[in-house]
Amino acid sequence: MMRRLARRLAWSAFVVWATVTLAFVVSNVLPQDPARMIAGAQARPKDVERVRAQLGLDRPLYVQYTTFLRRLVHVGPALGASRPEAHATCGGAGPLHVDLGTSYQKRKAVVALISDALPRTLFLAATATLLQLVLGVASGTIAAAKRGTVWDRGTVAVTLLGISVPTYMIGILLQWVFADRLRLLPLDGYGRTPLEHVTSVILPATTLGIFGAAWYTRLVRDEMIELLHQDHVRTARAKGAGRLAVVVRHALRNALVPLVTVVALDFGGLLGGAIVTESVFRWPGLGSLGVGAVLDRDGPVILGSVLVTAIVVVVMSLAVDLAYPLLDPRVRAR
Amino acid sequence: MRSIPGSSALLFAAFSGALAALSGCKAGDLAAPLPAAHADDPAPRRGGILRLSSFADIRVIDPANVADGLVPEVNNVLFAGLVDYDEAGRVVPDLAERWEVLDDGKRFRFVLRRGARFHDGEEVTADDVKRSVERALGPGAPNPYASFYESLVGFAAFQSGKEDALRGVTVEGRYVVDFRLSERDATFLPVLALQPLRPVCRSAGRRYSDAWTPCGAGPFRFVEGGTEHGRHVSVVRHEGYHKPGLPHLDGITWTFLVNLATERFKFERGDIDVLHDFLQADVTRLVRDPRWRPFGAFDVERQIGGESMNTEIPPFDNVEIRRAVAAAIDREHYRLVRPANIRPFGSPVPPAVPGYDPAAPVQRFDPAAALEHMRKAGYPYDPATRTGGWPHPIPYYVYRTGLAEYTAQILVQELARIGLRLEIHVVNYPTYIAFTGRRGKAPITSYGWQQDYPHPHDFFDPLFHSHSIAEESSNNTAFYRNPDLDDLLDRAKRELDPAAQKVLYAEAQRIVCDEAPWAFTHTFRFYDVHQPYVRGYRPHAVWTHRVQESWLDRTGADGPRALLDHGRREALGALLGSARDARGRR
Repeated sequence: MMRRLARRLAWSAFVVWATVTLAFVVSNVLPQDPARMIAGAQARPKDVERVRAQLGLDRPLYVQYTTFLRRLVHVGPALGASRPEAHATCGGAGPLHVDLGTSYQKRKAVVALISDALPRTLFLAATATLLQLVLGVASGTIAAAKRGTVWDRGTVAVTLLGISVPTYMIGILLQWVFADRLRLLPLDGYGRTPLEHVTSVILPATTLGIFGAAWYTRLVRDEMIELLHQDHVRTARAKGAGRLAVVVRHALRNALVPLVTVVALDFGGLLGGAIVTESVFRWPGLGSLGVGAVLDRDGPVILGSVLVTAIVVVVMSLAVDLAYPLLDPRVRAR
Repeated sequence: MRSIPGSSALLFAAFSGALAALSGCKAGDLAAPLPAAHADDPAPRRGGILRLSSFADIRVIDPANVADGLVPEVNNVLFAGLVDYDEAGRVVPDLAERWEVLDDGKRFRFVLRRGARFHDGEEVTADDVKRSVERALGPGAPNPYASFYESLVGFAAFQSGKEDALRGVTVEGRYVVDFRLSERDATFLPVLALQPLRPVCRSAGRRYSDAWTPCGAGPFRFVEGGTEHGRHVSVVRHEGYHKPGLPHLDGITWTFLVNLATERFKFERGDIDVLHDFLQADVTRLVRDPRWRPFGAFDVERQIGGESMNTEIPPFDNVEIRRAVAAAIDREHYRLVRPANIRPFGSPVPPAVPGYDPAAPVQRFDPAAALEHMRKAGYPYDPATRTGGWPHPIPYYVYRTGLAEYTAQILVQELARIGLRLEIHVVNYPTYIAFTGRRGKAPITSYGWQQDYPHPHDFFDPLFHSHSIAEESSNNTAFYRNPDLDDLLDRAKRELDPAAQKVLYAEAQRIVCDEAPWAFTHTFRFYDVHQPYVRGYRPHAVWTHRVQESWLDRTGADGPRALLDHGRREALGALLGSARDARGRR
């Protein structure tokens, strides 16, 4: 088990390194000029050249890459309130530093920008995932248990709508109804107090949740229909188990195994940034940060966002691998 | 997926019905303006927070690093300069009570207003002016406008780090500071009125640093924690502002990265007070709506647009081809793309720029002349048989969501009528910017130029002077080189007499319109609309949202929200009613 875990960890580290290296190469070989994006489209050539030199963008690519890697994880003095200027852009714990450099555009440490954005994205992603999971599992189970009834038809119709309508349309529609017309919730933003954070997350999380819930409903319904016709379920019924107990204990539990993979990867994806939803609702998360960086060719922020997203997806994937044996005894036995 | 049960049209019908009923009105209807409490009283009232918003975000609040198009609004209320622009774009005193031009135009002496104070309470002195200039132009400052000030004596040595002090700026007493230039420069005062050299508090230090809390001598001051990237900026009144009685407002907040549709929702419900960013359909509605028209105004035209032709790449290395293009474009067609914002225009300097000469030659639509120029170029084209013309397709670069994505289709058709076939390449904005400024890359591109400072030099010099050509990041996207024009522009820059300067720029305009490195097509103007309770709000020739003299005249403590409460109840009633209807239909 430990060897398997070590192998998985090593592979995960390689995936993260490869992803970030690829992002570095791609963002540098594209036919674009970050210095001009920083200085502005109307900046005079002399000013653009000076900005290029100040940021080290005039150095060879391999020099920029090795500088980035050398700085990324290093050992330094413990990070306290007063830190040496050489480590002003570092984050980390104790002597172990992580330094993603300074945003070209925002002139702030990328570590600080990501530290601000990540908890908000985590909050939105967790709320949306919870919402879609609860709604999806509940409605999928009911639809399967009541197959062919108006419940089932209604659920399938609504999920079809949820999957078909683009997220930005759902977002604007919810915003218009619940914030603009009914004034029940904030139009956008993140709020300043904990209560405002909670009210602010409802619409973006619902926007994401509608799509996810519709998808999960379909997934759970189909799995459940399959499972409800399995021999072990029929046996349980024959032995006198109640209908609810059969559905929940014998069918739903098994239906959740494939769902775990989907949920974990979805959660990882959402942590990487729900770009459209964050934009519609002005949610200051990783998605907005990453998109802004790509549009502005803000290299350090692009790399920081890619790194965080890669780590999150790899960790979630690892977590799924580790969770399978716990959920499915057959995997444990192997 | 195994099965999809039968039709659920009923559900869809109920859903659609509920939405339609919820709207309670025709799609796209605008809410009524929220009235002023004392519309007949012109006396300014003190107090209130003005709320502004934008779809974009600011990067850094620092006059030494004006890195985006939005931050000047914020800088403008935080930092006062020695001089500023009035509403017509003329340079007027601000922290300096007066100035003198000495040494045949090579020295400007500014006498500071006594008692003007920074936000930290310190008095603004000549030392602060010199320190702020050196901070903004020093070797480590990322100032994208630094080269505007290269006529200062010792600029190059100071910026390269060879000298510790900028020799061209000298303190001649506590309230007197001199700026010495290496040669006469008619643009010096207009560029000084820009923001980069505006005095900053001593806490800013002598050299640029990102770790600094903005502090200047403007009418509003920054509050600690008053900003967060991608979210907001808040400023409050500076009680020590040097203009008596100003500002009227208690403060201003900007909210950033607001989706355009959300901005309109917020504006209509009174959550923001001035609307500057629009969906195209909303501009048209607001301009046409008689209830809103009195509270809207177009900015002055400070942006030109056109087709930049690379004079180093065939076929545009042939002046006759360029002339043909300039004559082939019916600029009225461009206007139809954005009727509210675009005005057909065939000259390199927009009319709002001081020194603009309406009598100077312009480019005009003349299809017969265009065909004649094609013939002279050696590529005659017969529109009847559609034969002749330039034999190869020409790549034409535009970027997504830009205006040119639409005007490109007009241009393709206009040029096809004279035998030039364009191939549209839609790229993203960073690629577009890189391609247009890269030597030998783009034969023809749609390009625009927004006034940096109100002077004809700001249009002619970067766009058409040969010293603005670079291998990368060229402002002169036509890579146009004409020694006569260079000489004319250099002389015009040194000419301090406005009448003589006007003659020189008229001649420059004649050359540029005739040799056509650009086919000038239009000017672009933005539209602003404010709620009636925002008073004293007027468009400005240079600055967007210049609100130093604005005040608020709301109807009550909770003003706009209270007025709209009945609207909310109506909407809720509509939703409940539609739900009942939907149940009834089932």
